[in-house]
Amino acid sequence: MGKIEAKNIVKYFQHDGKPLKAIGGVNLTVNDGEFVCIVGPSGCGKSTFLRILAGLEKPDEGEILLDGKKLVNTGPDRIMVFQEGALFPWLTVEDNVEYGLKVAGIPENERHDISKRYLDMMQLSQFANSYTYQLSTGMKQRVAIARALVMDPDVLLMDEPFAALDSQTRDLLLVEMQMIWQKTKKTIIFVTHNVPEAAVLGSRVAVFSHRPSVVKKSLDIDYKRPRVAEDENLSQFEKEILAALRHQGPK
Amino acid sequence: MKPNLLGKKIAFYVLIVVVWQGIDSAEIWPDNIFPSPIDVGEDLLYGISDGSLFYGIATSMWRLVIGLAIAISGGMLLGIFMARVETVNQTIGSLVLGLQSIPSVAWVPLAILWFGLSDYGIIFVTAIGAIFAVTINTYTGVKNIDPSFIEAARNMGAKGSQLVTTILIPAAFPYMITGFKQGWAFAWRGVIGAELLFSFLGLGFLLNVGRQLNDVSQVIAMMLVIMGIGILIDGFIFKKLEDKVMTKWGLR
Repeated sequence: MGKIEAKNIVKYFQHDGKPLKAIGGVNLTVNDGEFVCIVGPSGCGKSTFLRILAGLEKPDEGEILLDGKKLVNTGPDRIMVFQEGALFPWLTVEDNVEYGLKVAGIPENERHDISKRYLDMMQLSQFANSYTYQLSTGMKQRVAIARALVMDPDVLLMDEPFAALDSQTRDLLLVEMQMIWQKTKKTIIFVTHNVPEAAVLGSRVAVFSHRPSVVKKSLDIDYKRPRVAEDENLSQFEKEILAALRHQGPK
Repeated sequence: MKPNLLGKKIAFYVLIVVVWQGIDSAEIWPDNIFPSPIDVGEDLLYGISDGSLFYGIATSMWRLVIGLAIAISGGMLLGIFMARVETVNQTIGSLVLGLQSIPSVAWVPLAILWFGLSDYGIIFVTAIGAIFAVTINTYTGVKNIDPSFIEAARNMGAKGSQLVTTILIPAAFPYMITGFKQGWAFAWRGVIGAELLFSFLGLGFLLNVGRQLNDVSQVIAMMLVIMGIGILIDGFIFKKLEDKVMTKWGLR
């Protein structure tokens, strides 16, 4: 039994008033402590699949199991890091990070201790009282990651969180993300369209096919960490991923 | 305010008073039609010395505060419901747009029939004149919330009233402030208009007394007081609130 299992997930989109099968029966089992990257052609429904895992959308068919139990709604056991961060502009960095804890009714001093730990980890301590508009895009994503980690979720879901970053900031965060994973031993599912990013981060990469999407290939990436994007030994993995992406069946 | 700007403003208002006095000295119109600034000033001083002015201001302000409080809380509630429940929007929403087009003084006859010549009637007119501006702006604000804010909050476990107080209201607040500002302006017009017609204490009543006594300097004095309070409330409450929120959000 995996930590989180997707069983035969099917999802239709409305396209010009007609239903269009976007996700065509995805099966994916992610084990406890795995770092799985999902790559796929654009429009294949990989982000929608992640939203279904988060419980923010309902599948038309199939089910999601967490520790063997069927999931219906969204909840803090699966925390999502959004592409644009979705930070609350009316709150300070610290209050953003503490939001979920506050909602859960955790007392202020305890909240403070937890958020301080993750703000330190993400090197945000000196920005604790800043508002989000004062931060760079990279800083914002660090806050978003800290906000997700304080919830101590069973599964961390990340929807192209580094897509809007410049390459320098991205490289930095790719290394940090691996360290966070090793330190926290979280189960992470990370959606990206960037193949080198998937090869650097993933302990496994699941390649989605063109829609209606299925998992076309699942590739273990057994390579020492921390990895960096320019490591040439990763390129064989990248080639395999690219080959799987290119070998698309009839559309 | 920069000294330069303040100087300009003072010079402008001094100029108005000087020109006003000049026109009066030219004796084009009789004093009972066109009073001098000194007459108006004397009238204000008289109102201050016998306390009637302060009593009038306090009465109007009290009605304003109650009416506006009802309008803001009711308008926010209604606006949030309209934005979040489609059926409410499709039904009550269209009615709100219609009611918004009724000038607040047009509610006065109904208010007199329902509440008699009482504070309640004036407060009713004040509240109903302001509530729909708050409603519509709150609705727009909630509708314009980035959906990922709501999703992120739900994902982190927020639901029901928690979602309303921690996300919907703060996220829509920049729009709501516009609603409060409009609502306050409508409420102030409403309270003065209602007092004029109710003839039941307050600044609007004092304004009307001036008319009945053919005392044009009292009429102008009361208009100046009404304008002055408007400037003060606008500048010191709503402008400050708006500045604070906009700065915090990084919108300016």
